[in-house]
Amino acid sequence: MSDIIDHEVVYLPSQLIVDFSKCTGCRICELACSAKHEGKFQPSLARLKIIRYDDLGLDIPNVCGPCETAPCVDICPVFAMRRDPITKMTYLDEDMCILCKSCVGACVNGVILLDTVKMRIIKCDHCGGDPECAKVCPTGAITYGPDTSLATVDRHGKILGYLKEIERTDKVHGTGAE
Amino acid sequence: MAGGYTGKILRVNLTDGKFKIETLPEEWIKPYIGGDGFGAKLLFEELPAGIDPLGEQNKLIIATGPITGTMWPMSGRTVLISKAPLTGIWGESHVGGFLGAELKYAGYDLLVIEGKSEEPVYIDIHNSDLQLRDAKNKWGLTTDKVTTAIKKDKRDPDVQVAAIGPAGERKVRYASVMINHARAAGRTGMGAVLGSKNVKAIAIRGHGAVEVHDLEGFMKFAKEGHMRVRTNPIAQGMSKVGTWGLVAVKQEIGEFPTYNHQTGVFDGWEKLSGDYIRPRHTIGDRACFGCSLGCKKVNYIKDGPFAGTLEEGPEYEGLMAFGSLLGIDDFATTLKANQICNRYGMDIISAGSTIAFAIEAFVKGAITEKDTGGLKLEWGNREQLIKLLEMIGEREGFGELLAEGSKRAADSLGRGTDKFAMHVKGMEVSGQDGRTHRSIALGHATGARGADHLRSLVVVDQLGYEDVATKRWGADKLPEIIDPYTEKYKANAVFESENAYCIRDTLIVCWYTVSWPPIFWMDDFAKILPLTTGENYFSKVENLTEIAERQVTLKRLFNAREGITKKDDSLPDRFTKDPMPEGPGKGQVVDLEPMLRDYYTLRGWDLETGLPTENTLKRLSLEWTKAHS
Ligand code: SF4
Ligand code: SF4
Repeated sequence: MSDIIDHEVVYLPSQLIVDFSKCTGCRICELACSAKHEGKFQPSLARLKIIRYDDLGLDIPNVCGPCETAPCVDICPVFAMRRDPITKMTYLDEDMCILCKSCVGACVNGVILLDTVKMRIIKCDHCGGDPECAKVCPTGAITYGPDTSLATVDRHGKILGYLKEIERTDKVHGTGAE
Repeated sequence: MAGGYTGKILRVNLTDGKFKIETLPEEWIKPYIGGDGFGAKLLFEELPAGIDPLGEQNKLIIATGPITGTMWPMSGRTVLISKAPLTGIWGESHVGGFLGAELKYAGYDLLVIEGKSEEPVYIDIHNSDLQLRDAKNKWGLTTDKVTTAIKKDKRDPDVQVAAIGPAGERKVRYASVMINHARAAGRTGMGAVLGSKNVKAIAIRGHGAVEVHDLEGFMKFAKEGHMRVRTNPIAQGMSKVGTWGLVAVKQEIGEFPTYNHQTGVFDGWEKLSGDYIRPRHTIGDRACFGCSLGCKKVNYIKDGPFAGTLEEGPEYEGLMAFGSLLGIDDFATTLKANQICNRYGMDIISAGSTIAFAIEAFVKGAITEKDTGGLKLEWGNREQLIKLLEMIGEREGFGELLAEGSKRAADSLGRGTDKFAMHVKGMEVSGQDGRTHRSIALGHATGARGADHLRSLVVVDQLGYEDVATKRWGADKLPEIIDPYTEKYKANAVFESENAYCIRDTLIVCWYTVSWPPIFWMDDFAKILPLTTGENYFSKVENLTEIAERQVTLKRLFNAREGITKKDDSLPDRFTKDPMPEGPGKGQVVDLEPMLRDYYTLRGWDLETGLPTENTLKRLSLEWTKAHS
């Protein structure tokens, strides 16, 4: 991953921090998110995504950020995806969006969505600085606040870490006594 | 349509391969709410009496309730309903996980599976894209493999898969349906129903929404509900050790079923207790949909003969059924046994209990190596348990007989083996004992599906919760009502708990936080139901009670149609004749008759026949059932 060029590295004042080892996969966060932003319980439109690996007994929350270099901002051809100058949160200017869906593919966390019914891009806005998901999460797997740079500096390394964890458990799984 | 419902019933007829979408009858909502209630109504109307549970005429219903898929705590439960292969009467099996919520997001409150397919298929529901897909290449696979294969086929990890394993295919009478690997619809043999219909699996994926009547009010109360769970000390303990915490409690009160219920005290209990297991074996905590408690534990065995076993579970019932019940004091064995049951798709309680039956019959000389095909059955033999489970799943050798459950096995063996078969109405007794807990004796005897611990198990009396008991049943019934060794007032406790659990099963929410620990009860349901549905009728506890009474009586009528009467509301002699040999409950036996009479009186059932009276039918608006007898 060392060949990724940092176009824009920024200090993030507050962010969603995930500890996947605490997540039980209950998806209350998805429910609360869709209730808050869509007025109904519809996990498919939640701005974050819990991936459950039932075969491994592992659950991994995917949330927006922390992205010191934001691929969604970099890729947007019309500058509809931007960073808020103060909060440094990436956000979508819906009026400018041409629905090219580049950001959907570019998001390293896979949490930018296309709503195929209303034809719009759906993107987390950290609930304007008061994230619902962090408030409802019963285990503390998602928290919100400033964190040391150690936790945020290497987003891609973190994902590699996830993958290694899956591989490790996979190995365990494969050596079953069958 | 009222809030919370999708308003649609999806039917699939396997015989002609056609799907049909029907409107959910609005007039079902008030009298039946959803879940179990809808299932009972539909099954009673559509199933003729006397049909073969494994025949083409039987139907299997997967039902959800108005709360399913919302953010109310523990809203991921689903129920599978059918005429039961194990008992030939009312069959239902509730299951956690995510299946029910996904069914609703796909747009359906109920899925009704009818007819029989010629070839193995799997039912594929993806929103409105409905397909029967060929499953010939999946037949024979264990449940974990089918689930993975279907997710791969669909290229979507979020598909919820309900699958049967080899046990369901071979119609083991207590075959289960496994939801995404480790959530089991275990009891009464729902897996055998799917197997008889040549359905290997049901795959569901939905992108839609569940909308409630008053979102703001709902969210406020739901968040408060989650906080009540998160701050409850017992619930907090359960997030650490799940139901394993029960082992120490049961041992202390002398009700940890041991050696096929011969005693309630197990010397090796410590190695099966939560405090022992968690630090040694648990590698992860997991939850079902919308659950802030998270009682599911992922466990791993590092060394010994079962090294490398990675599996969720077992629950308390698994530690009992593969542990104390068989004299095995080893967690690794119970985990391995649990894994085999999950993969083959078999109910843990019935499997363990049927094996315990065989061991006791062998040890006491009623059966011999001639019957077992050369196996020397004995208590505490770990490898033998694993072997027997595999033989049952394959219906191989002696496993063929054990696959029929303890009642049928005893009937075919004869020689007085029936006294070792711990069942009621054909369903094996769960991990409780009426001798040390009188109310469960009544619950086991009267449960619609047989010896059931989920429909009416009163926990408050057993553990002596005076404050809760006073609030629920009134100070005048204390102290008797919380004395586990007396029959007095136990019918009241069972009646009221069964009613509350009925509503729980129509919403549908999890057993935990309703039945144990006591966090939510009728008054909470009376608040959340109107917020969800907009139906004010649900805001009165007495109305909910009437709905619950209707449901219990409707299931009773279903069973009556199959020939069940008072004579079947019985217990194995062990509980009524053999005094508890040791422990705090030493010398106790159950006197069922007075409790039965009290219970029938409260239910409005005839004291001699145990059948609902004419007046009761009228009072509960169940006269329509007469047209279907
Ligand atoms: S911060 Fe808000 S919008 Fe973003 S995922 Fe969490 S709940 Fe959804
Ligand atoms: S609410 Fe917390 S524990 Fe539950 S799925 Fe979301 S991140 Fe995981």
